[in-house]
Amino acid sequence: MVQLEYGADESYKLVVPSREKPYAQLEAKSVYGALHGLQTFSQLCHFNMKKKVIEILMTPWNITDQPRFSYRGLLIDTSRHYLPLPVMKNVIDSMTYTKLNVLHWHIVDTQSFPLEIPSYPKLWNGAYSPTQRYTFEDAAEIVNYAGRRGIHVLAEIDVPGHALSWGKGYPSLWPSKNCQEPLDVSSDFTFKVIDGILSDFSKIFKFKFIHLGGDEVNTTCWSTTPRISKWLKKHRKTEAEAYEYFVLRAQKIASSHGYEIINWEETFNNFGNKLNPKTVVHNWLGTGVVGRVTAAGLRCIMSNQDKWYLDHIDTPWQMFYANEPFEMIKDEKRQSLVLGGEVCMWGEHIDASDIQQTIWPRAAAAAERLWTPYTKLAENPDKVTTRLANFRCLLNERGVAAAPLVGGGRVAPFEPGSCLAQ
Amino acid sequence: MALNPPLLHTLLILLSLSTTITSSLPSQSLQDSPPYLWPLPAKFSSGDETLSVDPSLSLTVAGNGGGSPIVRAAFDRYMGMIFKHAYNRASSLLTRIRFLSMVEYDITSLKIIVHSDSEELQLGVDESYTLMVSKNNELSIVGAATIEANTVYGALRGLETFSQLCAFDYLTKSVQIYKAPWFIQDKPRFQYRGLLIDTSRHFLPVDVIKQIIESMSFAKLNVLHWHIVDEQSFPFETPTYPNLWKGAYSRWERYTVEDASEIVRFAKMRGINVMAELDVPGHAESWGTGYPDLWPSPSCREPLDVTKNFTFDVISGILADMRKIFPFEFFHLGGDEVNTDCWKNTTHVKEWLQGRNFTSKDAYKYFVLRSQQIAISKNWTPVNWEETFSSFGKDLDPRTVVQNWLVSDICQKAVAKGFRCIFSNQGYWYLDHLDVPWDQVYNTEPLNGIHDPSQQKLVIGGEVCMWERMWSTREAVSKGNITLTALPRLHYFRCLLNNRGVPAAPVDNWYARRPPSGPGSCYAQ
Repeated sequence: MVQLEYGADESYKLVVPSREKPYAQLEAKSVYGALHGLQTFSQLCHFNMKKKVIEILMTPWNITDQPRFSYRGLLIDTSRHYLPLPVMKNVIDSMTYTKLNVLHWHIVDTQSFPLEIPSYPKLWNGAYSPTQRYTFEDAAEIVNYAGRRGIHVLAEIDVPGHALSWGKGYPSLWPSKNCQEPLDVSSDFTFKVIDGILSDFSKIFKFKFIHLGGDEVNTTCWSTTPRISKWLKKHRKTEAEAYEYFVLRAQKIASSHGYEIINWEETFNNFGNKLNPKTVVHNWLGTGVVGRVTAAGLRCIMSNQDKWYLDHIDTPWQMFYANEPFEMIKDEKRQSLVLGGEVCMWGEHIDASDIQQTIWPRAAAAAERLWTPYTKLAENPDKVTTRLANFRCLLNERGVAAAPLVGGGRVAPFEPGSCLAQ
Repeated sequence: MALNPPLLHTLLILLSLSTTITSSLPSQSLQDSPPYLWPLPAKFSSGDETLSVDPSLSLTVAGNGGGSPIVRAAFDRYMGMIFKHAYNRASSLLTRIRFLSMVEYDITSLKIIVHSDSEELQLGVDESYTLMVSKNNELSIVGAATIEANTVYGALRGLETFSQLCAFDYLTKSVQIYKAPWFIQDKPRFQYRGLLIDTSRHFLPVDVIKQIIESMSFAKLNVLHWHIVDEQSFPFETPTYPNLWKGAYSRWERYTVEDASEIVRFAKMRGINVMAELDVPGHAESWGTGYPDLWPSPSCREPLDVTKNFTFDVISGILADMRKIFPFEFFHLGGDEVNTDCWKNTTHVKEWLQGRNFTSKDAYKYFVLRSQQIAISKNWTPVNWEETFSSFGKDLDPRTVVQNWLVSDICQKAVAKGFRCIFSNQGYWYLDHLDVPWDQVYNTEPLNGIHDPSQQKLVIGGEVCMWERMWSTREAVSKGNITLTALPRLHYFRCLLNNRGVPAAPVDNWYARRPPSGPGSCYAQ
């Protein structure tokens, strides 16, 4: 099986001649370019209802295409709600329709720990129930399924916050029974577990990046738990310094397993100059972060929550479309540090029953922003309404429950009408 | 059929303010006693053994119908659903060897015996089956599961139940059947267990209809009532009158005759009948886009013009085209919500009425009866909405099946007059009424108020949503506190649907089709 490399050439050339020649031609440097070309070809084809044949209109077609950004992602969250395998596969399939290429799998969080970790087999006692789990082989299957479609799987193990569920299987990871987040920074066992998890991950998650989280860390439990506050005093660390120590130590463990690291932006905001210099900073919270990160010479991924959070169902597709990574960055060298971006489907209020209608069509608007050359993008998003409406209906035709365009995320159609007009 | 938007909006506002009901059972105890079966079988007994199931389960068939491709295709589908975890596909040879040496399976084969070789699917086909699952016993050395049925469709129902007995155990990474041995004898309470879909108000792509049909088979529903055409759009190809589908929303929001045949074939493979509906004379404005003569006048577009023979020629042509596609013995002719003002206000229609000494109600009756005869001449039994019965019941063709939707006691009245009836009380069984919580849907009983057994027989079943009440015995679904007896099973079934890729919404929300209220286990929402 061809190994999926990050940064692989995704370009392709697609030629559909007019009537004289009986063949169309697709040329690409890698199989992944060919997959994208096939997807485009599938969108050129239309079923003519009268003649009952498939047609390609407006030939000849001469398409030369490649993505603007190499990292075009979608985050899913399987901790707030368990997502069954067929649902994840359905999401992966639909990503290929818009040429998205990274599935950011936020596997574990406060509420549940659903993944099997062979090195520490009690961790998945933190799952919601014995059946709301992924075996190690399930996870490998997802990576394999995505890989065959040209999609990388970015695994995230968020530390030290967002990790309450770890303690269900190993209570000593909690500062105390009454104070269960963040993970105990004073204990070597904590880092042994992280090492075990990353060691197991390295067997199945072959993407060169790993996401270590590091967001929203409320360190109060550390200073209110006597054992840990003693450790802080002994090592002459404030809470904030202990947070920095935790993140950096976790980064070292990840590096030792061959990964490059992605962390959420608070790590940069708090101790950016101490981070591993190859860290990719994942912006989500504030605006202007991309500018500051690239000014510091670090790489960046964009997911600003005011425009690219899919669980914010009041954000209309136009705002997804208009979110421009280079808005504040004019310097080319700094622009090259922006790897791309990601739309985030957080799981607090969605589950298998409505995830696809919450993701689509707004994720498609962002996907165009990440793929299409800047000069070809519409300055006024409303100009692409017809094309996006058509794409949404194509998604429906392919069995993907994409919601109507009109009215924000995941609305029901207001009234009877054509798919194209809603 | 459109209903009550203003009321719905009011309820929307009220109910969006209310909080969710939480299940009275914690999620742990739901997991304590799988398997949960839905709908509940008629008769079953179980034990306390746990048996493991071989991922290379072999299929043996017997009986005149055992070799049917319908059985084989279903077996393959269910194997995919039961064994969806990757372990058995050997991520590494070493893993597989380790598994094989550690695990010896209790159930290594599935035997399906089908007595009849007939694959004919019609109302009343025998859907009964027996399902036995046990380890080595006196009868066979090989641990086996056996499904025995009179028809292939009974075998399909048995396979669905078998798939619900199977559960993946995460600790041993194998599929288990808990509480064996199982002895299940099952058959449906009602023959007609339907779901209506409406492809006129919104075009539903073929793939979506197939997903719906597939999910119907999980709940043993067996009639897809396809309300194809209505006021807003005419999406169906009718070769005899090819301009009709100009009334589609757009050139591609259409079904070719091949699409329709494919849907019928896909459904038949799952033991599901497709009942087509051509609603006349109301709900038919879209017909005139291709043939404006069908409208009484350009400003008066519903109901269809009763005065013209052309109208009935078109109906006859459509039915002739559809006869080639839909083999089900029933054909639905609608007949609901007929507002005859257009007839009274259009000159040539008014004159026609006067000429025959018809009231507009007489003309409505004339239209319905004449359409019925066309369907009957094509070897169909007509089904009509209840207003036809309420308005001129004694003149309806006696073969008519009356479908209740509007008033709650119509079935009682219809069966008292000797008509068969389909129960679809809109107060509880309309799925677009998002404000009806699951327990009200569940507790709606088609035979309410009907005590005479010969009349009870005339209620052939019901439509939309409450599959369990239509399959399981009355006592099983009515007794006790359904929060304890049914709710855990419904939670489990909803999660099973999600696990099979069907986006079933949370059970516990006040309002249907709402997102989950917060993070949580599938089984507790």
